[in-house]
Amino acid sequence: MTISDDVHVPGAVASRRSLITLRDVAVHYPVKEGVLQRVTSHVKAVDGVSLTIPRGSTVGLVGESGCGKTTLGKVIAGLESPTSGDLWFDLDPSDAEDVDRLRGRDPKSMSGEDREAWQRLQGQHRLGSMSREFQRRYRRNCQVVFQDAFSSLNPRQLVRDIVGRPLRVYNEASGENLNQQVLELLERVGLGPQHLLRYPHQFSGGQRQRISIARALALNPEFIILDEPTSALDVSVQAQILNLLVSLQHEFELTYLFITHDLGVVEHMSDEIAVMYLGRLVEQGPTREVFDNPFHPYTEVLRDSNPSLTGDSVADGHRRLTGSVPNPIDPPTGCRLHPRCPVAVSTCGWRVDDVLEQLEVSSPASFEGIEAVVRSSEFSALIRLTDDDASRAMAEEVTDLRGTLGNVEIDVRREGKELRVNLPEVDDITLEVIEPGRMSACVHAQSGNWWNN
Amino acid sequence: MAHDALLRVEGLTVDFQTSRGLARAVDDVSFSIKRGETLALAGETGCGKSVTARSILRLVPQPPGIYSAGSIYFQGIEESEPLDVLEASEQQVRALRGDRIAMVFQDPSKALNPALTIGRQLGEVFAEHREASVFESAGLGSRSRGASRYLRHRGGLVRRTAYRFTHPSATKRLTEALDERVLQALADTGVPNPRKVMTSYPHELSGGMKQRVMIAQALACDPDLLIADEPTTALDVTIQARILDLLSELQERKGTAILYITHDLSLVRQIADRLAVMYAGRIAEIGDCRDLLSAPLHPYTQGLMNAIPRAETKRGELAAIPGTVPVLIDAPRQCHFVSRCAWAGKACTTHIPGESHPLPDRLVSCLRFESAAAVGAAPGDMPQQYASAEVTT
Repeated sequence: MTISDDVHVPGAVASRRSLITLRDVAVHYPVKEGVLQRVTSHVKAVDGVSLTIPRGSTVGLVGESGCGKTTLGKVIAGLESPTSGDLWFDLDPSDAEDVDRLRGRDPKSMSGEDREAWQRLQGQHRLGSMSREFQRRYRRNCQVVFQDAFSSLNPRQLVRDIVGRPLRVYNEASGENLNQQVLELLERVGLGPQHLLRYPHQFSGGQRQRISIARALALNPEFIILDEPTSALDVSVQAQILNLLVSLQHEFELTYLFITHDLGVVEHMSDEIAVMYLGRLVEQGPTREVFDNPFHPYTEVLRDSNPSLTGDSVADGHRRLTGSVPNPIDPPTGCRLHPRCPVAVSTCGWRVDDVLEQLEVSSPASFEGIEAVVRSSEFSALIRLTDDDASRAMAEEVTDLRGTLGNVEIDVRREGKELRVNLPEVDDITLEVIEPGRMSACVHAQSGNWWNN
Repeated sequence: MAHDALLRVEGLTVDFQTSRGLARAVDDVSFSIKRGETLALAGETGCGKSVTARSILRLVPQPPGIYSAGSIYFQGIEESEPLDVLEASEQQVRALRGDRIAMVFQDPSKALNPALTIGRQLGEVFAEHREASVFESAGLGSRSRGASRYLRHRGGLVRRTAYRFTHPSATKRLTEALDERVLQALADTGVPNPRKVMTSYPHELSGGMKQRVMIAQALACDPDLLIADEPTTALDVTIQARILDLLSELQERKGTAILYITHDLSLVRQIADRLAVMYAGRIAEIGDCRDLLSAPLHPYTQGLMNAIPRAETKRGELAAIPGTVPVLIDAPRQCHFVSRCAWAGKACTTHIPGESHPLPDRLVSCLRFESAAAVGAAPGDMPQQYASAEVTT
């Protein structure tokens, strides 16, 4: 398979063989507290991500710090095992269909043919259950280049040993042959024989990143995860590395997952992008289309916040996110962006905590007067105040908050010094196909009422 | 033009002692900033932009730093004579820092003291520079040494506690007056719920919020000049956009001049009036920000602009600048960009380019804009002269 211009055609991507398929992948880290180190809650770093990486393409994964993009990269590299969900390697279109049809079903209830297919898929393609031989093949074929090239290279090893290590581990080469192969790799990334016997500290940042890339290429992999490979580099060096990555992709028919927070880089490098926010994908589609016409307000804000050299980018008139990123231990219900979203509406999934947070900002004095909050669910709670007057005042304040909460229907009932607050229950909003090849997790896009009108 | 300049840097040269010899971090740098304008100082890692900025407040540690030549004239509103920061006494510089010239650093979590509350750190600025007016608003006409010590957290715990017990009403009013100012400063920078932020410690705040606190601290005394050293590099783009909005809004309201240090050329267009590009310790080009970005003249600026990835550039064909930045220890007398420059001629390796003005309000230091006679080199050794038709990007 060659990389050609048809990569940019939407729809063409879906029909090709998928190299990596993620289905509902979640990574939850336990939070331990107290003397007994009991698990009290979980940090939901990645929470239900489904993504397909087609062979020969570059998929960009963008998001702000803490959104879980690096964790997702680690899961794909096999460095972190997911709490739930599965990861499939090298599926052809019919296999991919089988996976989506059969996963989640009990093998005992499957027909004989299906069960056989399922066992074959599990044994050969699913990371975690594949046989040793396939596992080995996966490890060889999936390599990682990390952001900080200095801490990912052993300071006590020579470049020859660092780059030659994978070859040695897989018994690919030894002795003079190894030196020869390492030299070829170094020359391919723009270094020379004079660099063979040096230590990492003797190189500049760009050169170190070249060494990392040479090491990743050593076993002739099909897939490379690039985790912010250029964010520690200056622009002029970054351009050198990006050019190198593109020429290597052409030469070795590589597939890239490009993880970055820099939208300029991802716009330049990737065929498809997936935008991540707080552990979830919020939008996915061909890069050009996503940038021209984003289907999620978060993507739009990201695009407009990204400073640009051309055009009148003086920030006036662009939408901004308010507040800061919520705690991933207790992420917002519905759409995770809604408390910060500039175009939020009543169906975005407002919950009691949003009401309380707003109350704290708008009327801190009466917020202080709250004695207890008894939640019966995310959307319903009993607020106990000091006396009747306080509850009367707060009932009004809560009703007044409607405007800031996307005009959601807040049902407030006063019972003496207690207030019962009910909000409409909303299910989690997940990625849905809006147009062929384009997915979004925004209620606006899913209902066809655009926020721009 | 010279008389209305707020800050004039003339021929600033800063060396650093290293085990391998003197490293010239800043080499004969001159520029000026007018009142209320924003000058962006852009360049890559190690080009000397931060050292230049720190020199303005004389914050470069000596040793290893040496101010080898040049002067920095600061003309405050109250002072009649410009003050040479490099020649001034320690006392004069201290009075300047945080009051007339303030600085916002790159990493807010390192620049804030983790052991003090936000309110205490912000209060220090007022206690140091606005003591008289704090006393006035507290209704204490004469300021005693005890009260002054109490306000500044000086003089030891025992003496301060003793003062608090002997003068309960005075200390209460002083604290209230100080808190009032801190709250106002925080509210000015759009910090939500300033009363809560005031009592929190830096680790309790998000990165964007910490940077807001830093800006509040820097602008507390309405300085004439704010030096912002990559204030948004550690932040995400959505937060960065809000911090930039805040800076330009505050500048409009208070009329502060800003020296904005950055490595990101694409950011400059949003904030700066004028742009200075540095390379290897020297100024490569200065000019009006928009003109310069739409028609860069120095080969380095051109290269830097073309290296920024954008959607229009075909993938894999970014115009990278070949090679790396030269080592500046005992560097030869030449144009430092010569090894990476597509135009370089023989004269570039023997002459340091001077200042030329190919356009009004544009300064370029490149031999392509100088005549062989003026440089004193053979015409054949000169790089190809610049033709006005070749305006890139």
